[in-house]
Amino acid sequence: MLVQLMIGALMIGSVYGLVGLGYGMIYKASGLMTLAQGDMLMIGAFLGLTFYKYLHLPFVVSLVFTMIIMFSLGLFIERVLVTTLLERGAQTVYIILCTISVAMVLQNIAMFAWGTNVKQFPPLFKKTTVDIFGYSVVPENLLALGVGIFCMLALHFFMTKSKFGTSMRAAAQDELAASSLGINVPLTKGASWGIASMLAGGIGVVVGPIFGVYLSMGALIGQKAFAGAVVGGYGNMYGAIVGGIFFGFIETLISAFVTVTYKDFISFAVLIIVMIIMPTGLFKEQVMDD
Amino acid sequence: MLNRLKEKKGLLIALAIITVVCGLMLKERYLALVLCFVCINIIAVTGLDILFGYTGQVSFGHAGYYAIGSYTSALLTLRLNLPPALAVIIAGFVSMLFGVIIAFPAAKLVKHFLSLLTIAFGQMVYIFIAVTVPLTNGTSGIVGIPHISIFGYTFSTNQSNFFLLLGVVILVFIAKKRIVDSRVGRAFIAIRENPHAANGMGINVRYYKILAFAVSAFLTGIAGALYAHLMGFISPDTFTASQSTLFMTMLLFGGIGSLVGPAIGSAILVATTELMQSFVSYQMLIYAIFILIVLFYLPNGVVGIIESLKESSRKQHTDKAVNNA
Repeated sequence: MLVQLMIGALMIGSVYGLVGLGYGMIYKASGLMTLAQGDMLMIGAFLGLTFYKYLHLPFVVSLVFTMIIMFSLGLFIERVLVTTLLERGAQTVYIILCTISVAMVLQNIAMFAWGTNVKQFPPLFKKTTVDIFGYSVVPENLLALGVGIFCMLALHFFMTKSKFGTSMRAAAQDELAASSLGINVPLTKGASWGIASMLAGGIGVVVGPIFGVYLSMGALIGQKAFAGAVVGGYGNMYGAIVGGIFFGFIETLISAFVTVTYKDFISFAVLIIVMIIMPTGLFKEQVMDD
Repeated sequence: MLNRLKEKKGLLIALAIITVVCGLMLKERYLALVLCFVCINIIAVTGLDILFGYTGQVSFGHAGYYAIGSYTSALLTLRLNLPPALAVIIAGFVSMLFGVIIAFPAAKLVKHFLSLLTIAFGQMVYIFIAVTVPLTNGTSGIVGIPHISIFGYTFSTNQSNFFLLLGVVILVFIAKKRIVDSRVGRAFIAIRENPHAANGMGINVRYYKILAFAVSAFLTGIAGALYAHLMGFISPDTFTASQSTLFMTMLLFGGIGSLVGPAIGSAILVATTELMQSFVSYQMLIYAIFILIVLFYLPNGVVGIIESLKESSRKQHTDKAVNNA
């Protein structure tokens, strides 16, 4: 029982962590905030469903296609909407509102394209449970966990080892110095928005088989991922993952041992308490107004 | 005197048109209800304006205060049998208390984190009222909330409620004007423009930020309580995160930091919502389009357009005067 709980907590935690990573990347690269990550996850799930169920593509191919589309969507939002607003001297609040309206538009598009009902993914595996060390585990959960860990490692190596990843980090540290060294700063900013929505979309495809695919599936996940990113230290990649897993465990343990009805209430309360007593997060990122 | 009247000509014409339109709308029950919604939203958005428009603090959780006001007033009248008029005022103060509680940590945070904190607050209130069945009756909501009655007169029709709400709106406008023109209002604006400079001028930034939260939560709470007594029925569906976004949209569309901005924004958005009643599924899309219009084409809202029109007509006047001379 406990082992299944732990695997469930790790699974949902890595989902929060990956979605929250997107927030951190965007904040690091451009100092801005998006609230569209949750709906990016939803759109990703619907796209994955379409590729897998209606076009009968293999799961991995659906996942890759979805991630490519989501990357372009994120790039588009940054290049077309956010940059235009910034050039007109918009405040950060206006950018947040812009992402909220993007989220609303995405929800409406999804509603017209796929309807308001909960859509079920066809089962990905033949077995409903697999045995690991004598414990039976749902394979979809393991898949989500595996994809989560893979994405985190891939992103880590991309950011630290590849040339483009290094230039992204350089641009995040000092735009002026980076662009004087020949780094295409607008491209790195666009790419960070693209990667953020790509991660959210990819995770959407993976959690679709677990929770079902529906319009509001992203809302709570998006907000809790944000909470995780804050708890970890906003703007810190690894902090977002740790924070996400932290919330995964809190939620799972509370709903298993304390109360199911109030689990989301308690999650948000934990977030507010953390923001009050430890606003810099576990990884000590700067959040104060000075 | 005549000159002053001439200056205010535009305002007088606008007032006359509004009076005629309201008079015509009051003839029908449903249209009177729409007017009531406009009034309630004006009160709530005015509250948000004091926070965001004057002090520059974002809130994406004002539906939370709206909900606290609604539920407090409804429960006080139904469980404790308090007179509704008293319950509305108590609800305002309860909401204010929550405003202060949130303001203590919020006054330290920058925009992004303030947004998140207020979102988290709004979500907590929403979840609480949706799951705490013994107190709030959960998602099925509370029914049979009595109408407001003052001195034995019950405001039971939409028309009479409109006049009551109009009275409250006028009171709120007077109060807001007095706050904004006072020392407190100037402190708010100084904090919005530059908190560090304000601090240097000897303004207690933290105190005024908390004060702005308190006033804002009070007004929005009152609006929520009035909503509960107008409709007689409340359920968590009214108090979702999109309601907070809607308040923000109304404020930005009308124009921040002005007296009439919230009124214009509320009127236009409520009217659009009601006109689009048959396209409920497009509602979110319409709000999104409103937000995008504001962001890309109307950074200062409708009030900004009016201001720039005034500016250009004044310029024409002075140009004429120069030419004549």
